[in-house]
Amino acid sequence: MTLIKKQIPLLICFVVGFLTLSSYYVPHPVSEKYMEGINKWENIVFGFAFLLGLLSLFFSHYNKIRRRVPGWGYSIFVYIGFLMMVVPAFVSWGQQLDGASLTSLGWAYRFVFNALSGTMFSVLAFYIVSTAYRAFRIKSPQAAVLFIAALIMIIGKVPLGQMMWDGALGWTNVLVADIVEWLMSVPVVAGRRGIMMGLAVGAIVTALKIIFGIERQYMGKD
Amino acid sequence: MEFLANIWQWFAGLFTVTPGWMIFGGWMAAGLTLCIYSFLYKDNPFFKVAEHLYLGAGMGWVFQVTFFQTWKPRVWDALMDGQFVVLIPTVLGLSLMTQFFPRISWISRYGFTFIMGYGAGLVIPLEITTNFLRQIGGTIAPFAGGAGFWAMVNGAIIAFGFICVLFYFFFSVEQKGVVKKASNIGIYFLMLYFGAAFGNTVMGRFSLLYGRFDDLYKYSGSGYFYATHVVLGLLVAYFVLDKLVLSKKNGGQEPAH
Amino acid sequence: MKSTLEKFLKIDRRLIFLALAIVLFFPIVRPLGLPNKNLGKDVVNIYNHIESLPAGSFILMSLDYDPATRPELHPQAIALVKHSFRLNHRIGIFTLNAGATGMIEEIAERIPKDIAPAKVYGKDYVIFPYQPKPQAVMTQLGIDMYAIYDKDRNGAPTREMEVMKGIHSVKDMSLGICVTGTALLDAWVAYVGDKYNFPMAGGVTAVSQPGYGPYLQTGQLKGLIGGMKGAADYESLINELDKGTSGIDSLSLAHILVIILIVTSNIIMLVLKYF
Repeated sequence: MTLIKKQIPLLICFVVGFLTLSSYYVPHPVSEKYMEGINKWENIVFGFAFLLGLLSLFFSHYNKIRRRVPGWGYSIFVYIGFLMMVVPAFVSWGQQLDGASLTSLGWAYRFVFNALSGTMFSVLAFYIVSTAYRAFRIKSPQAAVLFIAALIMIIGKVPLGQMMWDGALGWTNVLVADIVEWLMSVPVVAGRRGIMMGLAVGAIVTALKIIFGIERQYMGKD
Repeated sequence: MEFLANIWQWFAGLFTVTPGWMIFGGWMAAGLTLCIYSFLYKDNPFFKVAEHLYLGAGMGWVFQVTFFQTWKPRVWDALMDGQFVVLIPTVLGLSLMTQFFPRISWISRYGFTFIMGYGAGLVIPLEITTNFLRQIGGTIAPFAGGAGFWAMVNGAIIAFGFICVLFYFFFSVEQKGVVKKASNIGIYFLMLYFGAAFGNTVMGRFSLLYGRFDDLYKYSGSGYFYATHVVLGLLVAYFVLDKLVLSKKNGGQEPAH
Repeated sequence: MKSTLEKFLKIDRRLIFLALAIVLFFPIVRPLGLPNKNLGKDVVNIYNHIESLPAGSFILMSLDYDPATRPELHPQAIALVKHSFRLNHRIGIFTLNAGATGMIEEIAERIPKDIAPAKVYGKDYVIFPYQPKPQAVMTQLGIDMYAIYDKDRNGAPTREMEVMKGIHSVKDMSLGICVTGTALLDAWVAYVGDKYNFPMAGGVTAVSQPGYGPYLQTGQLKGLIGGMKGAADYESLINELDKGTSGIDSLSLAHILVIILIVTSNIIMLVLKYF
């Protein structure tokens, strides 16, 4: 049974990983044919992966309703939200535009999904301001450098900030926008490149561990 | 059969987007937007409803897009076309669902290993070529000749900062002497990066907020029958009433903000 | 004095929220008309690159943003489409982000109305359907794009379309642009840009903009539009001021508010510490 439950899946991982990696570096009609086939298949397999998220969301809210946990009534709105997208989609057979006019699916996107998703993320703006006020403190030289870099970006990216800079420091003949450009194309590149390389080494090691079956947490427990 | 077709036609007719629907859309968008913002004052049922709708709508959207743009053409139409080979990735994809049934959850490993092997195989060239070799090349390039004086100076700063950051990341041995100094300078370069990232994040978040405010302004017009004003007024009325009821109940004690 | 300052430091955060809402909303009602000067170098680079392409070049646009980042990225995408059409380039649009399909439909709705009424679907541009696995699509684009994109978003065969004449893979195209709020641009650079030596450019949120500095320095990216400021810069370059530019007034005031708040709180901290 271990063969079916464990070894064959690990073999699939190894074979697919090895062939994909080597096909990337070996430009040959055979490897291209392999990539074409696997790309098509991956597209389909991955198309089902999001169902995991969908079903676990449904299960968890179904359980809340079934057990009548405090606030269970709100869980009903998860299903309502889902239907608000899916019912119009089937009525208009997946089309958002009918010629030049909006279908009910296009309507649902523009007035429901767009409003909900856009607003949910925009709320962070309020918290970033209050956090900046309460927690952005210069307590060390490193924090001072971070503070100065942030301040230059905040001033230098908008016209009003640029005008303020010109008013106060115009005599230096240095434009704040030029400092922003320099910051972004020199020290920021150095910092980011270092992080990039650190991440690259980690990712390569993890990928090799997955291909060789050393890292197998994603497979769950036996 | 004809009866069913008639019912479907009547049902579909209900979903025809008329000018009235567009105005109602404005009310819907303004209402949902303000319901979410009401959380900034304090947690309340309107926010919770909008939050749960968001979860469902997000999933619903992905579901319908995947259904009509992937499953239907790639699986259903292909099967109808006699391409039975698509059954293999379909079964692999569906195998993932066995995760929900502990007794047979091992079947999902077939789908997962297929995805993970492919992902791991592709991530290696990305990291080696794009994020490793090309970056080292980019660091050396300004010194290869042809670059002007200031480009060389900037190139030297990048190379110096980059090496210092690497010292900070890669030397897990006890840091002392030159290594410690380089690593400390590396921290300053990282701080410059984080500072610039923070400054940009502020701008990014404000832009998103601006976008929603711009929509709210649009829906506050007479064309939408002042949807924003009315919904905002109703929410304020709710909070005033809530405060009055609350202050009667427990002497005005509110959780701190 | 000290206790007043301490109180000021612990001010109810809802007052800060209100102040931010006011400074952002005010210019929407009463635009200040601040000039957007000092255009970003990386934005100008994309503009110049598109300008340098011969008419009829095929530009691939992967519009991978959803409503969460719409205010920053939608104006960028619209400006890029307008510019490409003005120079009579061919455009292929698709997405690898399910949430973006509505955004693309909005562009599709606007093309015959106000973006480029003279352009014809199938002859000048085409819109492909959403596909779920980005890496699979990207690697396939370099081999034979019709293995995945044999039909457009409405199910019409793409191979025979006039817009696709001579196009078999990215090797036959002139430029790829990914507009995204995710890390997809990194994958584009690796699987398409680096692998096929294909010129790539990007449009990203302000949040992720600093992360692409290394790719710009190496030339792996030909240019980058960052955030709403980048969109405003591009609108200025093509001389079609739109939603990107109109947001700059609000951003200006809000930025000043943040600076005032951070500086004030730090001064208060210093006073409390040393006096």
